[in-house]
Amino acid sequence: MAPQTPAVVMDNGTGYTKLGFAGNDSPSFVFPTAIATKGPSAGAAGGTGGSGSGRPAVANKPSFLTGGAGPTGHLSGKRGTEDLDFFIGDEALNASAGPGYGLHYPIRHGQVENWDQMERFWSNSIFKYLRVEPEDHYFLLTEPPLNPPENRENTAEIMFESFNCAGLYIAVQAVLALAASWTSSKVQDRSLTGTVIDSGEGVTHVIPVAEGYVIGSSIKSIPIAGRDITYFVQSLLRDRGEPDSSLKTAERIKEESCYVCPDIVKEFARFDKESDDRFKQYQVQQPGGRSVTVDVGYERFLAPEIFFNPEIYSSDFLTPLPNIVDTVIQTSPIDVRRGLYKNIVLSGGSTLYKDFGRRLQRDIRHLVDARIKASEARAGNAAKSGGLDVQVISHKRQRHGPWFGGSLLGQTPEFRSYCHTKAEYDEVGPSIVRRFALLGGPGST
Amino acid sequence: MPAYHSVFLDEPNQQVIGNFALLPLRTRTRGPAQQLPQMTDTTELDIEPSHTSYDPLDEILSLFRANTFFRNFEVKGPADRVLIYGILFVSEALSKIRPGNSRRDAEKSVMNVALDTNFAIPGDAGFPLNQAFEAPKDRNEAEILRQYIMQMRQELAMRLLNRWWLSFQKRKFMGKQL
Ligand SMILES: Nc1ncnc2c1ncn2[C@@H]1O[C@H](COP(=O)(O)OP(=O)(O)OP(=O)(O)O)[C@@H](O)[C@H]1O
Ligand SMILES: [Mg+2]
Repeated sequence: MAPQTPAVVMDNGTGYTKLGFAGNDSPSFVFPTAIATKGPSAGAAGGTGGSGSGRPAVANKPSFLTGGAGPTGHLSGKRGTEDLDFFIGDEALNASAGPGYGLHYPIRHGQVENWDQMERFWSNSIFKYLRVEPEDHYFLLTEPPLNPPENRENTAEIMFESFNCAGLYIAVQAVLALAASWTSSKVQDRSLTGTVIDSGEGVTHVIPVAEGYVIGSSIKSIPIAGRDITYFVQSLLRDRGEPDSSLKTAERIKEESCYVCPDIVKEFARFDKESDDRFKQYQVQQPGGRSVTVDVGYERFLAPEIFFNPEIYSSDFLTPLPNIVDTVIQTSPIDVRRGLYKNIVLSGGSTLYKDFGRRLQRDIRHLVDARIKASEARAGNAAKSGGLDVQVISHKRQRHGPWFGGSLLGQTPEFRSYCHTKAEYDEVGPSIVRRFALLGGPGST
Repeated sequence: MPAYHSVFLDEPNQQVIGNFALLPLRTRTRGPAQQLPQMTDTTELDIEPSHTSYDPLDEILSLFRANTFFRNFEVKGPADRVLIYGILFVSEALSKIRPGNSRRDAEKSVMNVALDTNFAIPGDAGFPLNQAFEAPKDRNEAEILRQYIMQMRQELAMRLLNRWWLSFQKRKFMGKQL
């Protein structure tokens, strides 16, 4: 047998795709989960609209399965050449800026919505970016919490039948994010118990995990994530009439200058007193070549504040993130709550703001302490509880937490034995991927 | 955490007209407000709520920007109404400044609003928050309230001009403008 090839790790998010090989510290490629195909944009055709090649949209099955092609051979062999006329990632954004191409995002709210586009996205990811032969590699893919089993099956059909991959493991992003935090010195035991806060581009999930299993009934998601924070920055730039308030500029300001403050009233006062340090200016090169200066001010701390005070951004979603986390843990089984409070792990691009973890920890602690105090008061002084340890873990691998967790677990010697192989798939069929043994759980190294 | 409330809510012996508190002010403008001592050991930017000279106008200017971002505000007492009125006045004053105005023009516009005697007080038909504010009992009370509010407006405008908050012109507190 040939020496073992590294597993391919693919984390396809609503906003960004992270691609690379197990054992590495960071993904080889990070680009938008976007595809540009011939024809109009998704806007006109709807989320699962036509792909531009003239074929009807396929909502729930990869197109090749209904297209009658045999189960072997590469994608390119089964398609007409018009199907190859597409771009993914940054190239897709460029192509769609010109005429003739429409831009699509095949993943919505973490879940694959357009399998036809997703298949092509994966095909380019594998052949054009990673440049691997899928027959020679095992694949570790990620999925959001509560992904329907049908989606797993669709994924397996594409991976095995279209690409002939050697083996496949599908892991829940939150569980991988817990594994990624093992690199933090604050984490003493490599446990797969904890509460994951995964905040990316489209949604923020709060996911309790006990011994590697997601407590599905207690998961909560909130409709505030990276995109909203970008919009909020943009609206503040617009209110002030800044000379450039494009989404691109807003996103750049967000990623480079925003941080979480302890208290917004005090932070405004700080801007009054230390204005030279606090206010910033950005030079923005506009399309056409003109360079303009954009002032940056209070958005620096107000933008991420929408996690803690959603009311300043949204009129229909009002619950602060710390309260959501507390509720998620309180609705989980009582015997795991202590472990869930002790190991609150951050994951995803929108948790990277400076002091995000510190504020979250402080606010959750306040909620917990207030509740303990109230219940002690009710019970009289006899019932002093020992208090509850609330710890929020920020760590170096947070940004691409799910990918990095996949890289860690995918490099272990036993990884392949946890995968389903092509042979097993051929024997059992797609339903085989409804279950995977727990990787990195008790019993494994 | 909802919007910020007034620290003066629990102030003892408040003089109240309608349900609006006539709290002591640190001001040299003439009117019915009880006067607080001028400060000697701190500045308008640094004054803390615990300071004997700290007044509701300091509070308005420190909470103004944060509170304009909140959509809801539950009034907890007469001192909160002083806060609300002050925030709305500050928004109004700032809205008179046009982008590109010189500092002098800006100051003139703001002082014009503050010195204009033609403004509505609680109970007047033109007052925007009559659901939350009670009318004064009689003409005499109305006149005192009007003079107190006039003092607030003038002192606020002067303190406001020591600062520069143009970025907030477009936001309306609770969707209202004076
Ligand atoms: N340094 C940073 N500070 C703040 N936000 C950042 C930073 N870097 C990236 N982001 C934001 O993180 C988001 C992307 O995060 P991530 O890659 O985790 O999302 P995703 O996995 O594509 O989406 P989802 O998890 O919603 O499916 C974008 O909104 C991006 O602007
Ligand atoms: Mg993600």
